Amino acid sequence: MLDDDALRELLPRLRRFALWLIRDPASADDLVQASLEKALSRWAGKRAGGELRAWLFSILYRQFLDGQRRQRRQAALLALLGRQPEQDSPPPEQGLQAHATLAAFEQLPAEQRALLILVGVEGLSYAEAACTLDMPIGTVMSRLSRARKALRALEEGDTPGPRLRRQK
Amino acid sequence: MSFPHPPSEQELHAYVDGRLSGERRQALERYLAEHPALATELQGWQEDIRRLRAALADPTLLSSNPRLDPVYIRQHRRQRRQRQLGIAASLLLAVVLGLGGGWQLRDRALQASIPPMQDALEAHRLFALQQTPAVDVRSVDIAVMERWLRDNFGHVAHLDAMVERGLTPVGSRLLVNEQGAAALLLFEDASGERISLYLRAPGQLYGTMLVGNRAQGELQTHFWSRGGYNYALVSHAGDPRADQLQQALRL
Repeated sequence: MLDDDALRELLPRLRRFALWLIRDPASADDLVQASLEKALSRWAGKRAGGELRAWLFSILYRQFLDGQRRQRRQAALLALLGRQPEQDSPPPEQGLQAHATLAAFEQLPAEQRALLILVGVEGLSYAEAACTLDMPIGTVMSRLSRARKALRALEEGDTPGPRLRRQK
Repeated sequence: MSFPHPPSEQELHAYVDGRLSGERRQALERYLAEHPALATELQGWQEDIRRLRAALADPTLLSSNPRLDPVYIRQHRRQRRQRQLGIAASLLLAVVLGLGGGWQLRDRALQASIPPMQDALEAHRLFALQQTPAVDVRSVDIAVMERWLRDNFGHVAHLDAMVERGLTPVGSRLLVNEQGAAALLLFEDASGERISLYLRAPGQLYGTMLVGNRAQGELQTHFWSRGGYNYALVSHAGDPRADQLQQALRL
């Protein structure tokens, strides 16, 4: 049985990760809730060992990607029906923080935000991050370089533009 | 240890994230001293991540949300599973009803193409309307006919009602249909008008039948069920005796 106390302890981190992936507090909590439900249903099949935190992050990230895919499909469908899809992310001026670093961070693509949080803030090992994001460790390295360069550029006032966020 | 070649990407990240062992860190630092541009970039990266960490420092700042408590999630999950089970059950029910409905429709379609006691009508056409009726047992005695019926079907039918309406027995014929044996009892009135009484075991399509009648061309069929048999009285369309006979025989 998945230990409730262990989950409760990790909850703030999961919420933070979700918040900075999805950039909307309500959707972030929905994402966390869905991820925890998935985690509880999958717990029985989880192999012993392995870090709980990395495992939970990876479930959450996958849920996030699923959600993005769903949203894209909906947008494509709406476009097909000749309607304007809803803005899929809050525009920068309505961003979460006035904080300069966070304002810059917010403009990064989701994958880069995920990488920087997992490695830089949560302190996951590169191998754990690779596992969480489901990519080879070499890819983690090159994407991490790209993320750091992009954040640097934004911090220095170069504006690669909000388009950056949309690249995938 | 030194870096004769440019350090790998992983080593650069490990340096920024403070994950290089002492010896390797010192070697990289020596390399960076000779490559100030790279050194500046890595410093920037370190600075960025420090600021990011500071900005996101306290994850507990998020207001608590009871919806995310594991206890609530477990409960919610259980409820949802029950709801899903409910939906699955209702879907299953819908499928069963659909199949059953389809089966009934099929039966109804068959019934539409094969009206009740159609075999009685066919038998009447085939055997009764010939100049010389094709019967197995010729008899003009109603008692003989009743005995024949009892012997072959173990079924007791009182045919006095036929005689009372001026119909005399001509003969009987044993027939076979998909349910087994059937009997055609043929009667004739003084003017040579023929009426046949047909009985058979209930079929798959028509079990026990409601009392009814239908006309088809020059003939009419009155049908009913009694004593485990389905009966049909086939006569000329509009023959008023048919209604009375149906009344008398089905009781």
